[in-house]
Amino acid sequence: CSVLLIKMKQRIRRKDVTVENFLRVLTGRLPPSTPRSKRLLSDDRSNILIYLTGHGGNGFLKFQDSEEISNVELADAFEQMWQKRRYNELLFIIDTCQGASMYERFYSPNLMALASSQVGEDSLSHQPDLAIGVHLMDRYTFYLLEFLEDIHPASKTNMNDLFKVCPKSQCVSTPGHRTNLFLRDPGSVLITDFFGSVRKVEITMETINFTDHVKQLQKETYSYVDQLPVSEIIHQKPKQKDWHPPDGFILGLWTLILLVFFKTYGIKHLKHIF
Amino acid sequence: MEAPLTLLMVVAVTIRAALFRSSLVDLVAERVEVVSPLTAWKRVVEGLALLDLGVSPYSGDVFHETPLIIYLFHFLVDYAEITFMLADVITAVALYMAVKDYNRQVFRKQKFALEADRYPPDCLELIRSPKEMYYVPLKVAMFYLLNPFTILSCVAKSTCGLNNAVIALFILSTIKGNVLLSAIFLSLATYQSIYPLTLCAPALLYLMQRQYIPVNFRRVSFWWFVVQYAFMYLGSLFVIICLSFFLLGSWDYLPSVYGFILSVPDLTPNIGLFWYFFAEMFEHFRLFFLCVFQINVFFYTIPLSIKLKDHPVFLIFMQLAVISIFKSYPTVGDLALYLAFLPVWSHLHRFLRNIFLVSCVLLACSALFPVLWHLWIYAGSANSNFYYAITLLFNVAQILLVSDYFYAFLRREHHLTYGLYLKRKDGSEATLVLK
Repeated sequence: CSVLLIKMKQRIRRKDVTVENFLRVLTGRLPPSTPRSKRLLSDDRSNILIYLTGHGGNGFLKFQDSEEISNVELADAFEQMWQKRRYNELLFIIDTCQGASMYERFYSPNLMALASSQVGEDSLSHQPDLAIGVHLMDRYTFYLLEFLEDIHPASKTNMNDLFKVCPKSQCVSTPGHRTNLFLRDPGSVLITDFFGSVRKVEITMETINFTDHVKQLQKETYSYVDQLPVSEIIHQKPKQKDWHPPDGFILGLWTLILLVFFKTYGIKHLKHIF
Repeated sequence: MEAPLTLLMVVAVTIRAALFRSSLVDLVAERVEVVSPLTAWKRVVEGLALLDLGVSPYSGDVFHETPLIIYLFHFLVDYAEITFMLADVITAVALYMAVKDYNRQVFRKQKFALEADRYPPDCLELIRSPKEMYYVPLKVAMFYLLNPFTILSCVAKSTCGLNNAVIALFILSTIKGNVLLSAIFLSLATYQSIYPLTLCAPALLYLMQRQYIPVNFRRVSFWWFVVQYAFMYLGSLFVIICLSFFLLGSWDYLPSVYGFILSVPDLTPNIGLFWYFFAEMFEHFRLFFLCVFQINVFFYTIPLSIKLKDHPVFLIFMQLAVISIFKSYPTVGDLALYLAFLPVWSHLHRFLRNIFLVSCVLLACSALFPVLWHLWIYAGSANSNFYYAITLLFNVAQILLVSDYFYAFLRREHHLTYGLYLKRKDGSEATLVLK
């Protein structure tokens, strides 16, 4: 999960970070030419972690200084993902001003959300670097990272501990969370379910016979090349017949033209033709 | 005169063939001044492709050509360039023959008037001689074929060339005096785009003049001729429309073609006056302004035909100009047709007052159209007002051109009746004003 995150981060160019692209990656509605590295290849057994940070307000988050994503859009995108079975469980962490407004509109099951501040509060940044003059990190993110650095892939800490990260004394804003849509009890959800884990592997010594299945498949052997779109074009059925004007039309038109011709120039031309 | 004409046609065809091979084709075929949603070649190809896929070409807002164009291009789509060059050549030859015949008649009428001593003695310099009229047909053909507007329209493969060919054939058959062919070509021209309907009036006037039927509302012969012509015209229109029904087996070409021309749903900018108004108008008033704009095209027929009762060919020129200025989707190809007539009235040059202004404005606007389009659409530093300003100026220049020729024509007629040097009652020099 975290490995995939790093890979995706490297492949997105700055100008590709738009609201449309974000929603398309989430819902999977990408043009067929999009490479697999730019897609969210999740199914109904995938747990997804979404972390958003930046400037925001009551009900929106700013993208690239020119557009916004609203909480309604986000909620609808998550519902689309649920309908298309693109996630099993989804953790949504947002670190912006009034971040809690972003998860207010969620209505799909199995969503858990964390925000750095409530509606009406600002999320503040942590420390400035006096040399370059900008702040380096937000407070909530700083304390969240501090907390997560103590988590190792086999730890048993659950979500309730995550909710306690960055209390008001440290963050100045009040972090919020939403678990009412989550089907499991947050106390039983491990943090490593979302933040990278160790898979349980069972090694077995018995052999399983696949030959019956293979015989069935051999009847319709598909080579890889047959699944590409171009093979459909090559092997398509013959083109249907072109449209031709109806014979009655052609007959009628040329009869009329001939009639006018002979009316204008006289019947005497007839004997020169026939 | 045929040899120079053939040479001219060879030159014109060479220019067009050379331009067809250059990279100008794709550039020009996209320009909104040259093609409109009614005449674009891209849309013809799209419509034929839809037909090959088994879908009616009139579904959706792509194709607005008549079924006869479908029939024509179904067989000629691979030879499209030759078709459009041939259409231009046919137009030029038709205009050449028409103007030659018209000149002969003008000269004959003038001869009769001279023999009957109807001209005052001091306007002999206004009388036209065969020598000056000798090269006029060739000049007309040249003005049409070598006009940059026509060449652009041909290279862009805009079906305006075919419309112009039909109108030119109509003019030829009218001037030759053939009532049936005139009615048939007029109905074909009306079938293609509705506006040539207004050319009915000058055609009627001319044909009645030629058959010596007096244009008098109280005469039976006048009404009988009108009825005959109307019957032929409406009959052939009806036959063509029914025939078009049989091409595709449905009537849905009627709203797609005529509904589209009359109700102007597509507001792509062009060199006309409709798009800007209708883009910014409230829906509430749209029908009202649509009626006003469309009536504006047809409105000038009756007054002009009353005034120019004795000069129907000049009336044809003015009607063509009015149509190409006020129609719903004009292109530069429409301009080319009436600009081709200017050599016929070249004897009016001494009475024209605004030649310099009009020619400068027309040239400047033609140059500014692509510039302001680029600034508006690509650079983003102008907006539609800039482009519409140039459109307005272009149309104002055209109107000025037409009204200038009108003034010069009427002034010459006045001089031919009352003498060249007009004097007021007290003997001082008078001036003529067009009211």
